[in-house]
Amino acid sequence: MTTHARRARQFLANKSRADWHDRTLWFVRQKRDRIAATVPEWENLREQASRIKKEALANLDVYLEQLETEAIRNGVRVLWAKDAGAFNRIVLDIIRQHGAKNIVKSKSMLTEECGLNRFLHSKGIEVVDTDLGERIIQFRQEMPSHIVLPAIHLKKEEIGETFHEKLGTEKGASDPSYLTQAARRHLREKFLAADMALTGVNFAVAETGTVVVCTNEGNADMGVHAAPVQVHCMGIEKIIPKQEDLGIFTRLLARNATGQAVTTYTSHYRKPKPGGAMYIVIVDNGRSKYLGHPKYNDSLKCIRCGGCLNTCPVYRRSGGHSYGYVIPGPIGSILAPQKDVQKYRDLPFASSLCGSCSNVCPVKIAIHEQLYFWRQDLTRQKRTSFIKRFSMKATGFFLSENTRYNFIGIMARWAIRYVPRGLLYLPFNVWGRGRELPAPPAQSFKQWYRRRVKS
Amino acid sequence: MSKAEILASIRKQKGTQVSIRKIAQTGGSALSVSELRNLFIENLKGAGAEVVCLKREEADTYIASAWENVLDFSKPEVIAEYPATCSLEKLNRIEHAVLQGNLGVAENGAIWLEDKDLPHRIIPFIAQHLIFTLETNKIIATMQDAYQQIDLKDTGYGVFISGPSKTADIEQSLVYGAHGARELTVLLI
Repeated sequence: MTTHARRARQFLANKSRADWHDRTLWFVRQKRDRIAATVPEWENLREQASRIKKEALANLDVYLEQLETEAIRNGVRVLWAKDAGAFNRIVLDIIRQHGAKNIVKSKSMLTEECGLNRFLHSKGIEVVDTDLGERIIQFRQEMPSHIVLPAIHLKKEEIGETFHEKLGTEKGASDPSYLTQAARRHLREKFLAADMALTGVNFAVAETGTVVVCTNEGNADMGVHAAPVQVHCMGIEKIIPKQEDLGIFTRLLARNATGQAVTTYTSHYRKPKPGGAMYIVIVDNGRSKYLGHPKYNDSLKCIRCGGCLNTCPVYRRSGGHSYGYVIPGPIGSILAPQKDVQKYRDLPFASSLCGSCSNVCPVKIAIHEQLYFWRQDLTRQKRTSFIKRFSMKATGFFLSENTRYNFIGIMARWAIRYVPRGLLYLPFNVWGRGRELPAPPAQSFKQWYRRRVKS
Repeated sequence: MSKAEILASIRKQKGTQVSIRKIAQTGGSALSVSELRNLFIENLKGAGAEVVCLKREEADTYIASAWENVLDFSKPEVIAEYPATCSLEKLNRIEHAVLQGNLGVAENGAIWLEDKDLPHRIIPFIAQHLIFTLETNKIIATMQDAYQQIDLKDTGYGVFISGPSKTADIEQSLVYGAHGARELTVLLI
């Protein structure tokens, strides 16, 4: 059994929770559909977003340098990190240079990807995640299970328990409003004491040197404006060429992510505050390697809305942690093998290839096609299990030639009828683990058709 | 040198990407001024904000009577009291802050503020209750229209705000007052 399948089984062991997870994310998907339907030019926006991203990627070097030039002119320091190690060291250097002790961070999947918190912890520096969901999982030392809703795998009782332990809330209290207020008080203290704020970046505008961050809680702004030093961390693919392009992406992002018309705050950082310092750290970490890949480069258009997670029948029923990669769901399953093909070789198979992910993608990434391409590549590279490869070869052998096909049909109809169940469902019949063979028909379709034509 | 390496890697790889610019822009709203206004109000209320429609001459009296300890940041004497160097402790005590909005977006209720409207960038977030004044004729249809009107090169910081701070990170239950303002009131003039 693959790693994903094994972890999914653990998730499914708690049936009522798995059902809740499935229903809740489907509800978010429905909200997304309703609000998308209120925008008549929705499909046009998706097409434009896709083309803008394609253009940005086609001239990525030009736009990144333009961003840097503009940012420097604005009094911003720009740093480049080719991989996770370089990124972590750069952030550490900034912290040491400013002698920062109290560091707050708003949501950034990039810092999760690079393991920044863990690295800084090993250097004796603690970072406080300020997004409520992120703070919850930070307390619990877990990974986010969703890129937009990091604590969606938890029930309020568990969060109440965690807050009781960490923040001294009343034992047994689990009211979301009560718990949120406790977190507000706790984090406001952290904001007021912050001497450095880290954020992710949703969009970086080359034309103006602006980085844009979208939140509902206002935690990015609280940190950035309270702390004298602000550090914005972006992957190279976050770039968009022009200010006007923001009009397209801000119309798509929140609608597609959570079904809101827009996030509560859409913040545009361009210059440091009076007396403050501002940094932009540009990170590659394996992205440029796939820029020229004819099959996989489209994945770099992703704006991390999480829409494909909410719609995915496999994600909803297996939970984010089953993927084992920082970005779960369909988009994670095509990004993870780019990072480590051997480690994440099972993820492209964690899909029904139904194509729903591609249908909701706001930048029109053909996610299900990429999943299929990965399956082909992984099989060619013999990274899939022997049983899978053997059974696929055997299937190909029988299906590709008429006599063989007829023969195996007869054999199969006979076997299902007469071979003992224990033999048919031997452990290597992976397919049969969760499925039942159909009742065998008396004759094949060919036989039935021939008789029908004769009579 | 990370920068040189990244750019070299990009230049080596990017060859196969096709550069195409946008297809025809949509937009250009057919909505009338009053339709824009109604849509704007509907979206703001949907996002948890309160909306009050006033005549210009009523605004000051309304603000003074509706809230105690209210700080109206359109007044020079209030701005002078909260300069950019003002301490966070003092800012953290702000209960009700009135700020002037520049632009309203009908399709989502977002209101645009930039450095020139903000004596201190943290005010809209640190205040417990945020109050915007906005002239009805400053409501435009979509975010695309908004980015045609504003110029990011004019400001070091700018933000669209479309409601009180909120979160649904605990079991997807919506709670207002996550980190930023607990309440947002928009006075439409």
